[in-house]
Amino acid sequence: MSPATPPGEALAASGVTVREAGPGDLVAGVAPRWVALPESTGEVSTVMRVAAEHHLAVVPVGAGTKLRWGPPPERCDLLVYTGRLNQVLEHVAGDLVVRVQAGVTAEALAAALGGAGQQLALDVPLEGATIGGTLAAATAGPRRLRYGMARDMLIGITVVLADGTVARSGGKVVKNVAGYDLGKLFTGSHGTLGVITEATFRLHPLPASSAWITATVPGLEDLPDVAAIAGSQLEPGAVEIDWPDLHGPVTVSVLLEGVAAEERAKAAGELMGATAVITYEPPAWWGRLPGDEFLLELRVPPGAAVRALDAVARVAGDVPVRVRGSVASSVLSLALPAGTSAPAADIFVSALRSAVAAQGGRLVVWTAPPEAASLLDRWGPVGAATLMRRVKERFDPEGRMSPGRLAVGSRRVRSERS
Amino acid sequence: MTPAMAELSGRFASILGPGGVITDPVRLRTYECDGLTYHRATPAVVVLPETAEQVAAVVRACDETGTPFVARGSGTGLSGGALPRADGVLIVTSRMRRILQVDIENRRAVVEPGVTNLAITEAARPYGYYYAPDPSSQQICSIGGNVAENSGGAHCLKYGFTVNHVLAIELVTPDGEIVQLDAMDPGYDLLGAFIGSEGTLGIATKITVRLSRAPEVVTTLLAAFRNVESGGLAVSAIIGAGIVPAAIEMMDALAIEAAEAAVRCDYPPGAGAVLIVELDGPGAEVAHQFARVERICQESGAFELRVADDPAERAAIWKGRRSAFAAVGRISPAYLVQDGVVPRTALPMVLAGIEELSARYGIRVANVFHAGDGNLHPLVLFDDGEEGAGERAEQVSSEILDLCISYGGSITGEHGVGVDKSRYMPKMFTPEDLDTMQLVRCAFDPKNLSNPGKIFPTPRLCGEAPGVRKGVHPLVASGEAELF
Amino acid sequence: MNPELIKDCVHCGFCLPACPTYSLWGEEMDSPRGRIHLMKQYVEGTPMTPEMAGHFDACLGCMACVTACPSGVRYDVLIETTRAEVERVHPRPWTDRAFRALVFGLFPYPRRLRALRLPLKLGERIMPRLRPLLERLDPRLAAMAELAPPVSPRIRLPGLVEARGERRAVVGMLTGCVQAEFFPRVNAATVRVLALEGCDVVIPQGQGCCGALSVHSGRKEEAARFARRTIETFERAGVDTVIVNAAGCGSSTKEYAELLAGDPAWATRARALRFLDLAEFLAELGPAAERHPLPITVAYHDACHLAHAQGIRSEPRALLASVPGLKLREVPDAAMCCGSAGTYNLFQPEAARDLGDRKAEQVLTVGADLLVSANPGCTMQIASAVRRRGEEIRVAHTAEVLDASLRGLSPATLGRPAQRGVRAR
Repeated sequence: MSPATPPGEALAASGVTVREAGPGDLVAGVAPRWVALPESTGEVSTVMRVAAEHHLAVVPVGAGTKLRWGPPPERCDLLVYTGRLNQVLEHVAGDLVVRVQAGVTAEALAAALGGAGQQLALDVPLEGATIGGTLAAATAGPRRLRYGMARDMLIGITVVLADGTVARSGGKVVKNVAGYDLGKLFTGSHGTLGVITEATFRLHPLPASSAWITATVPGLEDLPDVAAIAGSQLEPGAVEIDWPDLHGPVTVSVLLEGVAAEERAKAAGELMGATAVITYEPPAWWGRLPGDEFLLELRVPPGAAVRALDAVARVAGDVPVRVRGSVASSVLSLALPAGTSAPAADIFVSALRSAVAAQGGRLVVWTAPPEAASLLDRWGPVGAATLMRRVKERFDPEGRMSPGRLAVGSRRVRSERS
Repeated sequence: MTPAMAELSGRFASILGPGGVITDPVRLRTYECDGLTYHRATPAVVVLPETAEQVAAVVRACDETGTPFVARGSGTGLSGGALPRADGVLIVTSRMRRILQVDIENRRAVVEPGVTNLAITEAARPYGYYYAPDPSSQQICSIGGNVAENSGGAHCLKYGFTVNHVLAIELVTPDGEIVQLDAMDPGYDLLGAFIGSEGTLGIATKITVRLSRAPEVVTTLLAAFRNVESGGLAVSAIIGAGIVPAAIEMMDALAIEAAEAAVRCDYPPGAGAVLIVELDGPGAEVAHQFARVERICQESGAFELRVADDPAERAAIWKGRRSAFAAVGRISPAYLVQDGVVPRTALPMVLAGIEELSARYGIRVANVFHAGDGNLHPLVLFDDGEEGAGERAEQVSSEILDLCISYGGSITGEHGVGVDKSRYMPKMFTPEDLDTMQLVRCAFDPKNLSNPGKIFPTPRLCGEAPGVRKGVHPLVASGEAELF
Repeated sequence: MNPELIKDCVHCGFCLPACPTYSLWGEEMDSPRGRIHLMKQYVEGTPMTPEMAGHFDACLGCMACVTACPSGVRYDVLIETTRAEVERVHPRPWTDRAFRALVFGLFPYPRRLRALRLPLKLGERIMPRLRPLLERLDPRLAAMAELAPPVSPRIRLPGLVEARGERRAVVGMLTGCVQAEFFPRVNAATVRVLALEGCDVVIPQGQGCCGALSVHSGRKEEAARFARRTIETFERAGVDTVIVNAAGCGSSTKEYAELLAGDPAWATRARALRFLDLAEFLAELGPAAERHPLPITVAYHDACHLAHAQGIRSEPRALLASVPGLKLREVPDAAMCCGSAGTYNLFQPEAARDLGDRKAEQVLTVGADLLVSANPGCTMQIASAVRRRGEEIRVAHTAEVLDASLRGLSPATLGRPAQRGVRAR
C-alpha cells in the first residue's frame, strides 16, 4: 500500500478492524478520525506501520477511563483501542506469574487469578480500567505501601513503537536483569512512547484475611500518628485517609492482611485511638478517587504527609477541596469542584506547589476543566525533563505518539526550562 | 600512554589533585578486572573523584575528547561490568563513601555511590530500620554498583531488588551534566530505566534509598534433605501454600562440601541438599507460617530441622550459604560462577539437565540457588592445570544458560550482562528488542562513551538527529558496527 | 612468594572493608586484593618498583583480611614472604635504612631498651620543645618519641612463682621485650593471676625478643635466630606450656614451626612447646579463684594479632564479663586495626595516626571508664590518639583487670591516666 493511498483506505486495507471515529471517542476533547480495533500484538504492529506511512498521530486507549487525564493531544488521527486484546495468555500458579494482553481489565484478571488463590496486588482506582491503561498512567492504590506500584510488579512487557516495531523486554521470571527495562520506561508514559500490548506480572497470594481499622477524628490536629503506624512492626498493607471537607472530620483507615489480620488490627488500635473500629470490609471510599473532573495528585516524602495536608488546608481558602489517598506512602489525590474558577485554581496549584517544594513535593494536575486546563502548569518542574525529551525523540522522532500528552511533550514545560 | 591520554591525565590532575589520578602502570594493573577475573584490560588512567562535580568534570573531559569511560565501585561484579577500557578512563567511586543523611522521618537515607550496601543497614539499624536488598557481597559491594546492576540478594523474593528500594538518584550523564531523577517526578520512569543499566547511561553520584522497618520477628529454618529433588518439592509446596518467605535458599551436596571446608558451617551430616527458609514479619504471622513450613519440610522428606531465632544462630545458618561462591575455591582449583533464572516450576527439569551436562562433559557442578525465585548459581568446577578442562567448563556453563532460556528464563538474575554475557543477549532477545533498548542508550549516551561494549553484543552507533543522516561512519564501513 | 597461594585469591573483594589502608585511601593497590595482585605481577616478572614496595610496606599486617577471606587465602604467609622479598631485592634510601637499623637494633633487645630509660626519663621534660625539631628531621622519629610510654619503675620478677592453693598447672611465661621494659605491671599482673588461678609460673631469666618484630618486617633470618633462642630458653626451663600476654608475640610464637620449617629438627622442637595467650589458657583452665566485684565500664579492643592472627575474640571478653559488676561494651567497627601494628606506627606514622584517630573516635563513642586490650602497643596508640583530641582515657591490659578483681582492688587502681611528657597538641 503506497503512501499515496488515502490513510483511511490504507487502514481499511490493513486487515485490522478499523472504524470511523464517533462522538464517543474524544480524547480530552480532541476528536480522532479513525479507531483501530486490533486483536493481537501483530495487528497493532500492522496498524502502526500504516499510521507511520501516513504520518498519523496515534493515541492508544484501553477502557478509556483516563482519556481525560493529561493535556489534550496536539493532534489525534487514529485511536488504537486495545480492548480486544483481552486474553489472559499464561498463568502459572506455581511460578506466581501471569502474562496478559493489555486490554484485559483489572476485574477480569482478578477473577482469573482468584481461583488459584492469587492476585495482582495492584489497586486500580477506576472501575473497568485495563491493564495497559493502568500501566500507561501508572496508577496505583492503597496497597502501594506494601506491594509497590505497577512498575514494581511488572516483570515483562511487549510494546509496539511508533514505526510498528514490536519490542519486548524482561521476561516471565521474577528475577531478571538482562537488558534495559523498557517496562519501567513505558509505565507512566501515557501513550507517548508506543502502544503497550502485553504485560507479565509477578503475583502474590491472596491474603487469608483482611481487616480494616478505621478512626474518624474531628480535625487534622487529632490525627493518629500516621508515621508510627506506617513504621510499626505490624506491617500495615495500607494507611489511607479521607478528608472530604477541609473544615470537617478526617478519617484514617489502616489495612492489615494475613492470617492474624484481626489480631494485628487490634494491636494497631493502640496507635489509632479509642474511637477506632475494626471492620472486615473496606470503608466505602477506600481506593476510589475523590472525583475526576478536576483531579490533582500530590506527592511528598512520607514524613511530610501531615504537613502537606496542613498546607492543602491553608492554601485552599474557600475552595472546597476533597482529599483522599495514601497518607503513609504520601500520594494524595485532591479533587476540586469542576466549577472552580481558572484563576482560583491557578493560585491554589502554584501556592500548594511552593508550599511542598521545600520537602521535595510534587503536584500534578491530571484533569481540569477546559478554562483552567489552558492556564495551569500541569507538571511543575521536572529535573530530568531534558533527558525525558531526548528519550521521546528517540522513540518517536516524528512526534506522532499521543503528542503533547506528557511533560516531555509539553511546550509549556519546554519553554519554561529553556 | 598516548600523548592525548597524557594530556587528559594532566587535566584530571587539575580537577582531582595529583592524589586522585593513577597513571603508574603497576598500580593501573591492579584495576584490570572486577570480581570476574576472566576478562582483563588495564585502563589507560584511573581517577578517584570525591565529589559529583569532580565526576562531572572528568566525564565532560571524556566527552570533549571522545574518550570512553567506565565506572567502578568496589569491583565485586561478576559479569565484568566494570571491565576497564585500555583506551579509556576508569572512574572509581571508592572515595565517595559518605552517608549524607539517615532520614528516619522519611524512611530513607541519602548516600554517595561508594558507600557499601551493609554500611547503609548499619547506619539505619540503631533506629530499627535497614536497607532491604542484600547481595551476598553486601559487606563490600557499593551502592553505586548495586544501582548499576540492580542487585538483588537472598531476600529479594519478598522484598524485591535495588530498583524497588531506590527513591532518587543524582547522576552524571555521559555528556557531563548533573541530573536528578526522582521517583516522585511525573513523566517517564527514567529512575527505573537507569537502575540496572550497568553503567551505560551515566554514573550515579548520589543515591536516595528507602529504609525498611526491621521486622518484628525473624525465624530461620535449616532443613536437611537427602537430595535436591525433595528439597525442591518442599519449595513448591511452601509457595503453593501461599507463603512468601523472606528467603528460600538451597545448596546441593557439593556446595555444602565446599562451605564446610571453608567456614565449617556444620550443616547436618549426610545432607544431599539443605534448604534455608527465612520467615519474617509480625510475630503472629510468622508463627503461623513457620508451623506450616516446618510441616511441609517434614512431609517433603527433611531428616533434620534446625531453627534459629536469634541473630547469632541465624548467622551460623547463613554462614555456609553466604560464603558459598568463594568457598568452592577450597574444593576446586578453578571454577566459573553462573547466574541463570528459570521459572520456579521448571527447577526440577533444569537441575536434571545440569546433572546430565555435568556427566556428559565430566565437569562437576555445585549448585547454590535462590530457590524461591528460580535463580540458579551453578558453580562449574574444573582444574585449570588440566588440558581442555577450562574449555569444557565454559561449554557446560554456556549450555546451562541455553537450558535456562529454553525454559523461558533469563541469562542473568542478578550478576548482570556486562561483558561476559553480551553474546547471549541475541538468544534471549530479537534484534528489534535490542534495537529498541538501544534507543534508550542513544537518548542518554549518543556518543557511546559510557561503559561501551557492555550488555549489547554488537557495538552500534546512534544516528544523528532524526531524519538527518551523515556519511557512512568508518566503523560501519569496516563492519565493526552497524548504523542504528 | 608462592604462586599457588597467590592463585587461591578469587578476587571477590571481601577483604576490602576489613583492610585499614583501603578504608583510609580507597585504592585497590592498598587493599589485600590489590596487594595480592601486585604479588602476582611480581612473580610473573614485573620488577619490584618503589611504588610496588611502597604498597607492601603500607600493609599493617593486621590480618583482618585473613579473617574476612572466604577462600582461605594465606595472606599472612604471603605478606611475610613478600616483605622478605622486598628486603632482599628492594634498595631503600639511606634514611629508611638508618631508621630501620635504629628500630631493629633497639626494640628486640631488652638491655638496650633499658639503657634508653634514663634519656627517656629526662626527655619527658624536654619533649615538648624537642618535638618540632624531630618532626622536621623525620616525622618517624617524632612518632617514635611520641609513642614512648612513660617510664615506670622496674619490677624484677622472680624465676618461679608458686601456685596459691591447689596447683593445677605448671607454665612458663614469656616476658617479652617492650612489655617487660615499658609495661612491667602487666607482666606482674599476669604472674599474679596465673598463680592465684593455681599455676606454678616459671619465668626464665635473660629472655630475649621472640622475633615478632622481625618476622612481621620481612627479617626472617633474624626472626629465626630469636625463635631458636626462645625455644631453647623454655626447654631449659622445663615447661611445655608457655603463656604469652602480648598479642604480637603470641601469634609469632605460635608460628615458630612454620618459621623454622626449613630446619626439621628445630621445627620439631618448636612443635613440642605450646605457646598460649593468657586469655586462651585461662579459658581452657577454667576459673578457680574468687572474682571480687569491680564496678567499672570497660571497652574491649581486639588486638589484631589476637583476634585475626590467633582467632581469640570470645575468651578475653568472657574473662572480663566474668568479673562481677564489670560492664563490657563493644567498640564499633571492632575488627579494624588501631594503626599500631608492631612497628607500623614508627615506619608509617601518618597512616598510623589517621587510623589511631578513627579508632579513638569509635572508642570514645562507647563511653567507657577503661579501655582494655591484650596488646600494650594498641592501648598506647589509642591513648595517644585520644590525647590528640584533647581527651583522656584510662587503659589497662586484660591481665591487670583480672588481677584487680582477684585481689579485690578498687577499680580506681586500674589504668591511671598515663603521665606524659607529650600532651595533646
